[in-house]
Amino acid sequence: MSDLYSRPSPFSEFDRLQREMASLFSGFPSSIRSGRSGATFPYVNIGATDDSIEIVAFAPGLSAGELDVSIDKGLLTIAGERKPARPDASGDTRDDVRTYAQERFSGAFRRVIELPQNADPDKVQARYTNGCLSITVGKREASKPRAITVQ
Amino acid sequence: MNDRTQVAERDQKPAARREADQPSRRMTLTPAVDVFEDSQGITLWADLPGVTKDKLEVKVHDGNLYIEAEAVVPTPTGLRLQHAEIREPRFARAFSLSPDFDTSKIDANLQDGVLKLTVPRRDEARPRRIEVQTN
Repeated sequence: MSDLYSRPSPFSEFDRLQREMASLFSGFPSSIRSGRSGATFPYVNIGATDDSIEIVAFAPGLSAGELDVSIDKGLLTIAGERKPARPDASGDTRDDVRTYAQERFSGAFRRVIELPQNADPDKVQARYTNGCLSITVGKREASKPRAITVQ
Repeated sequence: MNDRTQVAERDQKPAARREADQPSRRMTLTPAVDVFEDSQGITLWADLPGVTKDKLEVKVHDGNLYIEAEAVVPTPTGLRLQHAEIREPRFARAFSLSPDFDTSKIDANLQDGVLKLTVPRRDEARPRRIEVQTN
């Protein structure tokens, strides 16, 4: 099927994996109360350097403690729950609140990213700043580019 | 290792070069917002991940409220982007405000990539209970 002469780029490979993962999880019924089915949260960018795989999840309005990041069998999972900006009217009955827009995601979320073979699950760092979760996954030594000395 | 470069692609195509002449035509993302109103005024939340205080501009002009921001995410040097769901680091959104609101008293707070704006109602526009007199 694939063209012998055009190598698949790592870019399309990541996109393909994302599509596969998305279709894998889309079959599950979503909560009847989550009005926006198919809302992607958080958005994720993935890049690589010679030494590491860099993942940035755009997840504003959380704290580091509310984020659950795990790696299992080459799958990186980012999960958590984002509370609505305005809690349900229970404690606020005296005031008549009108809602004009409610576009921001709220509820439980989960993103699964398949890491490439050369990712080292023992070398992972995660940091949450300004609403962005940055995850660095080291590459195994053997997979790093090396200059070979010609004898 | 910690150079501050953009994690979102900066397009370097010829089309993007025209930005210099027409800064207003830049591609921007529309941030998701929640907007509520109560008797005190409007409260607006906007998702601006990766935005710091110095890269955020909130301004009121001719009765319109403008939110403009740029995300800066520290990334290592030599990063090659492979999959991007956020392709533009710039956010922009505008709202029109009714004259009922006191634009000189807007309060803005940015925390963890979420902007919270409160726009109070003018005192004279607040709902008041009027005592009914009986003779």
